Amino acid sequence: MSVRRWVPALWLAIMACGLWFVSTRLSIHSELGDLLPEGSTATQRLLLSQVRTGLSGRLILLAMEGAPPDELATISVALGESLRADGRLGFVGNGMQTWSKAEQAVVTGSRYLLSRTVTADRFSESSLRRALDQRLDDLRSPLAPLIKESVPSDPTGEVLGIVQSWSGWDPPTKYRGVWMSADHTRALLVVETRVSGFDADAQESIHQAIRARFHEAASSSGAPARLVLSGPGVFAVEIQRTIEAEAWRLSTVAATLVLLFLLVSYRSPRLVLLSLIPISSGIVAGMIAVHWWFGFVHGITVGFGIVLLGVVDDYPIHLFSHMRARDSAHAVMKAIWPTMRLGVLTTAIGFSSLLLAGYPALAQLGLLAVVGLLTGACVTRWVLPACVSQGFAPREIGHGFPARADWSRKGSVLAVIVLVLATSALIWSDTPLWEQDVGSLSPLSDDKKQMDQRLRQELGAPDVRDLLVVEGPTVEDVLVKAEAVMPELDQLTQSRALAGYDIVSRYLPSHRMQRERQRALPERAVLERNLDAASKGLPFAPGLFTPFLSGVEAARSRQLVDRDTFAGTMMEMKLESLMFPQQDRWVAVAPLRGVADRRQLASTVEQWGEASVRYVDLKEESNRLMTAYRDRTLQLLGWGLAAIALTLTVGLRSIVLVGRVLAPIVCALIVVAAVLRGSGEPLSLFHVATFLLVIGLGLDYALFFNRVEGTEDDRARTTFGLLVCGTTTILVFGVLAFSTIPVLHAIGMTAACGSLACLAFAALLARRAPHAA
Amino acid sequence: MIIGTKTASLIVSVCILLSSAQAAGTNAENPPSQSEQPSNEWTIEQLASSLKEGREPSVVFEEETYSSLLTKPIVARGVLRFSPPSRLEKDVLEPSRERYVVEGDVVIFESERKQVTRTISLDDYPALRGFVEAFRAGVTGDAALLKRHYETALSGNRRQWVLQLRPRDPAGQTMLDSIQFSGSEGRIDSITIRLPDGDRSVMRLSRGHAP
Repeated sequence: MSVRRWVPALWLAIMACGLWFVSTRLSIHSELGDLLPEGSTATQRLLLSQVRTGLSGRLILLAMEGAPPDELATISVALGESLRADGRLGFVGNGMQTWSKAEQAVVTGSRYLLSRTVTADRFSESSLRRALDQRLDDLRSPLAPLIKESVPSDPTGEVLGIVQSWSGWDPPTKYRGVWMSADHTRALLVVETRVSGFDADAQESIHQAIRARFHEAASSSGAPARLVLSGPGVFAVEIQRTIEAEAWRLSTVAATLVLLFLLVSYRSPRLVLLSLIPISSGIVAGMIAVHWWFGFVHGITVGFGIVLLGVVDDYPIHLFSHMRARDSAHAVMKAIWPTMRLGVLTTAIGFSSLLLAGYPALAQLGLLAVVGLLTGACVTRWVLPACVSQGFAPREIGHGFPARADWSRKGSVLAVIVLVLATSALIWSDTPLWEQDVGSLSPLSDDKKQMDQRLRQELGAPDVRDLLVVEGPTVEDVLVKAEAVMPELDQLTQSRALAGYDIVSRYLPSHRMQRERQRALPERAVLERNLDAASKGLPFAPGLFTPFLSGVEAARSRQLVDRDTFAGTMMEMKLESLMFPQQDRWVAVAPLRGVADRRQLASTVEQWGEASVRYVDLKEESNRLMTAYRDRTLQLLGWGLAAIALTLTVGLRSIVLVGRVLAPIVCALIVVAAVLRGSGEPLSLFHVATFLLVIGLGLDYALFFNRVEGTEDDRARTTFGLLVCGTTTILVFGVLAFSTIPVLHAIGMTAACGSLACLAFAALLARRAPHAA
Repeated sequence: MIIGTKTASLIVSVCILLSSAQAAGTNAENPPSQSEQPSNEWTIEQLASSLKEGREPSVVFEEETYSSLLTKPIVARGVLRFSPPSRLEKDVLEPSRERYVVEGDVVIFESERKQVTRTISLDDYPALRGFVEAFRAGVTGDAALLKRHYETALSGNRRQWVLQLRPRDPAGQTMLDSIQFSGSEGRIDSITIRLPDGDRSVMRLSRGHAP
């Protein structure tokens, strides 16, 4: 019995290596962005890169409430100060932020290149006279100290103009110098992280730091204030953690239930432990395969993958169900292997459709499932029998156990009735067939979404939804186009089609524009003459405007402003988020606020007739993306079914039998779709993906139900085994169906219903017990 | 830099507004009864309470601004108004129409020549709020609060007095050198505001109607 020794030993050794590898080498990621697809159109790629790294994705909105406004203001001041010292954060806004010296220097030094009001007429005698009159007004006004310092070098007020046009968004109301909601119940802050909003680990440590600093600030003021965090990064962490926690919790509950059920069914702890051998091997092998192929394993893949690999547990159950005291495990295995092999193969084909779906999250899952499935099957075939001693019979199936009712005639009738009912439910249901709104897949509560909206409104932070996209081969090209778009956007803002917008060319003019402005600047002699004429009769001190004259002269040959000019300032980050390279092109994105009518806006933008300027509704676009993946998955599902049918034809060598095996599955899918729709659940990508699992399960059931078996006892054993398999599957996914996370619920509901329907249809449609041949 | 000067200017504007409100609040034709009996001591408390007596809705002003940028002072004329409890208005009529209104915590600025209306929140400038509150304390006769924010020096007597205020707060000192009120009884005749760089403005107040 050397085989009985070295096979388990070898398995143990390999398993130990595998476990060591998994625990030490495997990099388990938690960044949701890693699971996002690449996108197939330019817009989709842009959307996805925005989602991954865009500014709006990196904003954290903070609200502090539950204390009197004075105390909230004190806390906000302290919190703002301590957050500004954190290198992981870019911009920290609470109403107190000011321009740095570097930014002031850029603006003052390049004022004649940056100001939108610089034209040739700006320096004519009459314009200068008007400007000087205004400066006199300023000097006699209580605001004099504000203006006084800049009058000699900037009598036309360019710096003030730049400052005003740069503060393009209405800040929130203030109380005691910090932003606060209009009713003074919430102090508001906005924080920009340097890392992507989807980098859940990095985001979480930042959130923790923010909370800790808040507690410091709040406890030193002694007020009972609360902190609310919101924004894409916060949601990403929450979604991630909720999915992970719930996947693991539900998996644990399901696994416990399954183990208990197996224990009750077979009354043998040893058997339960043995049944874990294939599935654990499958999980380890699958994780290593995913790591090897993708370079990392996502935490969510592991959670879902283990659930999918629950199918593997059916294989040892089949083996044990057929074990009798007089048979060796090898002999039993050999007897059921052809049926099991076909089941494994076809299920693997089903799972591999996930691999081809082009959606990284699903591809990881598919690879894990396929490799795990094959490994689990091989371990069941070659390792498990060696672990079972001669004559190990877990449970004698009682003679009273029904071998199989011969239902085929009545069964067909029943199946047809159910099918007709299901089809009519499917056709006449009010529920839309397909889920169109990606948002409904989000596990976030409506409360949180509303809170986010409210904070966004109060802070005047850009919505994550509407963008104007300007593309071009070079930075200069993009800037020129963006400049051309600005007057149009201003007009839309004036007609209230928009509440506001931000665009890169507001801060960084194109070189063409800057050169135009340089050309508009008069020569020193001309300017001096105009100025002398303009200031005739005004009480300005002689020679006061020399800095102005030399400033204009210097600007005529000054180096043009470009992205590098802003290096090291807060503006640099802003520019980077508004304009970035995308593959070999440059893209400027202009976040739009308060779009009144999206359809109207889209057609307005189209009427501009500029192909490289597009309006993008990110939400619409992500829905489209999801739909595209769903359709692709559906298509693959069809091809998968065809491939399965082909494999079955080869394996079973009988078209009739193939029909018998496939019919229950197709029926089950129709019934599941009807049940889902009847219960008011439109189908999403995740339902469709789970259909694959249902197909895999159904094949297994149908194949075993249609197996040619000699004796009544054999059939009773098969039925028993299938009942155990079906029940365990329904238990696992039934538990998932109770999940509050829409995706998990979708998978659980689909698989549980599907498993039940497959089992029922397979039993109803199975061929009559063959006469002993 | 920008923020600093802005604060300073606002402080000055609010000072003017609030102090003129006190002027508007005086009633020269019905001097306070205490004035009939000369007293040895003329204290800030007494001054504050006599400034508080009675209220006039408006007062005419003429303001001269002396600046190092200019060869001669520039002059503005207009009306100051006070509507209880907290609305203060400086309405410049000459040489061009400009209006500053402090209402509650908000300063509204309107200019005809520049065709702008701007709203500035006092809350943007916590330091400024201190000044405003101090002045409000003055309006309501709270001399103690006034003394907390300013070093005060009162000279002269009831018939001819000069009150000099210097900010106690070092931040305030960089924005404002001093404010000097001079007047007689419960009436303010002029307000002189000196900035740290030596520029100053002198505002003369008189009862009457706008030209």
